[in-house]
Amino acid sequence: MLGALALSSGLPAQEDSAEATSIYRLYVACESVDEIHRIAFDGQEAVVDRVIRVGYQPTEVEGPHGLTVGPKGEYWYVSIAHGKPFGLLYKYRTSDDELVGECELGMFPATMQISPLTGLLYCVNFNLHGRMLPSTISIVDPDAMVEVGRTQTGPMPHGSRLSSDGRFHYSCAMMSGHLFEIDASNFKVTRDLQLDIEPPEGHQSEAKPTWVHPHPSKRLVYCALNAKGVIAEVDLDRWVTVRRFETDKGPYNLEVTPDGSMLVVSYKTAGKIGVWDLEKGEEVARITATRGVTHGVAISPDSRYAFVSSEGKGAEPGVVDVIDLETLKKVSSVDVGLQAGGIAFWKIESLDR
Amino acid sequence: MLPRLVLAILALSVALVGQDPQAGKSDEFVLRVTPTELTLPIGEKAQLTAELVDIGGRPVEGKVLYFSRARRSLRINETGEVEALQAGTFQVIARSTIGDERGPQAMVTVTVPHPEPASIALRGAPKQLHVGTTTRLVGEVLDLNQVVRSDLEVSISSSDASVASIDAFGHVTGTAPGQIVLLAKGGGLSQEFTLEVLANPVSAIEIGASATVARTGDVVTFTANTTDASGNAVEGVPVEFTFHAAPDDSLGNAATGQIEQDGRFVAETPGLYTVVATCGTATDRMTIRANKRFEKKMKLEKIGHGEVFDVHTSDLWVWEGVDGRDYAVTGTWGANGDAIFWDVTDPANMERIATVQVDARTVNDVKVSEDGRLCIISREGASNRKNGLVVLDVQNPREPKPVSIFDDELTGGVHNVFIDKGYVYALSAGRRYDVIDINNPATPSRVGSFQLFEPGASIHDVWIEDGIAFSSNWRYGLRLVDVGNGVAGGSPSNPVEFANYAYPNGWNHAAFPWKSPDTDKFYVLAGDEAFPFGLSTEDNPTYARGWIHFVDFTDHKSPREVARYEVPEAGTHNLWVEGNTAYVAYYNGGLRVVDISGDLMGDLYRQGRELAFFLPTHPKGKVSNAPMVWGPQPYKGKIFFSDWNTGLWCVELVEDQGRGR
Repeated sequence: MLGALALSSGLPAQEDSAEATSIYRLYVACESVDEIHRIAFDGQEAVVDRVIRVGYQPTEVEGPHGLTVGPKGEYWYVSIAHGKPFGLLYKYRTSDDELVGECELGMFPATMQISPLTGLLYCVNFNLHGRMLPSTISIVDPDAMVEVGRTQTGPMPHGSRLSSDGRFHYSCAMMSGHLFEIDASNFKVTRDLQLDIEPPEGHQSEAKPTWVHPHPSKRLVYCALNAKGVIAEVDLDRWVTVRRFETDKGPYNLEVTPDGSMLVVSYKTAGKIGVWDLEKGEEVARITATRGVTHGVAISPDSRYAFVSSEGKGAEPGVVDVIDLETLKKVSSVDVGLQAGGIAFWKIESLDR
Repeated sequence: MLPRLVLAILALSVALVGQDPQAGKSDEFVLRVTPTELTLPIGEKAQLTAELVDIGGRPVEGKVLYFSRARRSLRINETGEVEALQAGTFQVIARSTIGDERGPQAMVTVTVPHPEPASIALRGAPKQLHVGTTTRLVGEVLDLNQVVRSDLEVSISSSDASVASIDAFGHVTGTAPGQIVLLAKGGGLSQEFTLEVLANPVSAIEIGASATVARTGDVVTFTANTTDASGNAVEGVPVEFTFHAAPDDSLGNAATGQIEQDGRFVAETPGLYTVVATCGTATDRMTIRANKRFEKKMKLEKIGHGEVFDVHTSDLWVWEGVDGRDYAVTGTWGANGDAIFWDVTDPANMERIATVQVDARTVNDVKVSEDGRLCIISREGASNRKNGLVVLDVQNPREPKPVSIFDDELTGGVHNVFIDKGYVYALSAGRRYDVIDINNPATPSRVGSFQLFEPGASIHDVWIEDGIAFSSNWRYGLRLVDVGNGVAGGSPSNPVEFANYAYPNGWNHAAFPWKSPDTDKFYVLAGDEAFPFGLSTEDNPTYARGWIHFVDFTDHKSPREVARYEVPEAGTHNLWVEGNTAYVAYYNGGLRVVDISGDLMGDLYRQGRELAFFLPTHPKGKVSNAPMVWGPQPYKGKIFFSDWNTGLWCVELVEDQGRGR
């Protein structure tokens, strides 16, 4: 029985015990091989239990970049960055990982999330293809898979994340250094904030913010200032930066634990993972990733584990490292496809043991 | 207030139209939107109103978010004002929020009717027709905006079938002198067109041909001299050509040839062909013979193989180095960012002499400058996503030296490059190509750029010849851009498009210009790329599709697709033409060598114009025993080509002394 369960979860069989085993399931996008790898982690070992090929131009690298799972966990969505030339959004069913819908977005669609309030999906069009002109956020009805709105923000928008109540959307414009807030209901920019301390000459940001994540319960958002090695904590009521955390090189993606206590950051340039105690404003762990070029962060809903993707270089496989947020140790890692980037948590399954 | 609204509000009563399964409070509340359906003419606006109530009908405080599921055809703003932009039936969603939770939603169906039919046009309708001749008419209904209503059909009838009759396919035939009215009906309209049927002065036809004995694939031109009863020549009366065949192999043979109404005929299989010319009651016929195209059988003989089994191989370039030896460079796909250099002076013993690794997963394209000093390799999948291209000094190909990296505004990935007279033409993320000056290779600089601005247009590859950039653009087809030729006043810093041609399948992946030395016609060979059955990167062969389109650009203002080369059950990739021979990388169909001499018409494969083919396989290949030919290059009498699964090959076209293919 346990063997069958382990087989179906893709995990090795474990010794019998009276406890229930939690299986953590997530998806990671492998950008340079056009694959999505489904990961299963049982608290000890992470494995790839399924590989899904995506895209429609087989001999060309189409670049699956951003991933998200719908609020009910029935579907997952991936942005296909390189199109002809516009990128795509694909919708897959989680029960069998079958493609069930698609729609065209803008140039290099990247990160995204679905608002629990509006039910709409908000995806940044990162557009790193040419001149650094203001780009857009595509707003998609994921039921019909049609783009229902497009809102202009700044050049190279990234880090598409919603407030926990789903009312506001946040993204950073990497090349202008702005944090943008959009009203999720009317698709309008409500305000923006320059994250550079000194407004740069020629409107080229020195901070190059790459990610933003709202605190789950406080009126705060956290922005990764990639080029400065800083995390900016922005007070949403005052709309100012209230704390700045000095990090290792290249903070890129970050996520606050659902309980609001910790912040996990990928230090892309350093190839490390930072864990911060938000109450103290202190880095409590800095962990070397299994491979260089750390990228995405996804945290389990129980705030227990952080899953961090690393791209690697060249033919090095990508990897997903699992960080135990209680012990602050890397407890497992699993090789995935080339240039592992976008990562999205799916669900926790309970298996009786 | 919006007074200009709503032709017909189909249902005015309030109703819940759609339940939102993800709504948190959809069971407790109701969203009433009026109207629930409406019909709205193009350009008109209407106001939707929404009311949120509880199950007792009491108003509830909440917000309503409106959005259109076809915003380019039907616009809606945040107040619920709808504006019709294009004809069709569309859905508007009104979605409520109550406090911090999703409420119920409603769906409104909006029908935007086509503009009213305004007129009927008959394409191909002549004013006059001779007795005994036929022409085809196509009827179209035009709306008030002069746009064709493709949803409406047109029927055409003759007022007097004894003067001119018309069949169900629109073919109208003159029967007797006189005048008739063609009555076209469609979209509730009817419109009359006058047609005069003239007596046919032709009493005799004398048919002639440019050859009485030809080969399959040769275009034979038939002429028909028409004369009246007095023996005087008659001009301007159309002659219809047709043929029947007696192929040598008559056992269940299929179609055997093709004839055009300008008299050009081509045979696909050996045999006798009788061409019949008809004009009214006059007719003449002539039989010609088509022989097998090639008396000698040819084959592609393997000379050498540079094995690459651990990764997929992409494009190649072969050149004579500054030391007089022959070299090749090949790219790699989905791997470690390697470009592999080879000494191919003795192609039977190709020597792998160097590997340059750059930060990339795919080095899709490799090109070497005309003087053999610089090599450009493209990058995709760079770890920092700053892809761009890398300039290498290859004066000593055994030690290629990086000279510079150029990634400014090329960060989205460079898929293809071309070098011409000190400039690199580099594709940028499929959106455009940039023209980069490498006269000082240490400091490349962008001098120009070319982009298609049609919605969703994309560029895949570009090839330069005689100052013209020939780009291949998927469904936007071939684009010819003056980058120094002078035909349109263009230059590398000012590319000017002057001609284009697109074809329906949307698979245009490669373009190769070629002027036929036999006919002086100027063609662009357009190659497809298609994988309707997917791509197998490991373990299994791939079954690609597509063909080579021969587009006659002799008159660049009116290009015509005149011929194709289509190998059944296989798919094209890159190609090269030298002299009268085309070398086609046909993916799973291997390397194909095709005779394209003389005039071209029809399907060159079926005409037996293929000289030889070669299927590169190896049990140790990245995919075992699976040909996947990527690109060919004829060089010094031999043919080099790269194969995705096995590496670099060299073959030679020789007479087949054996038992045949």
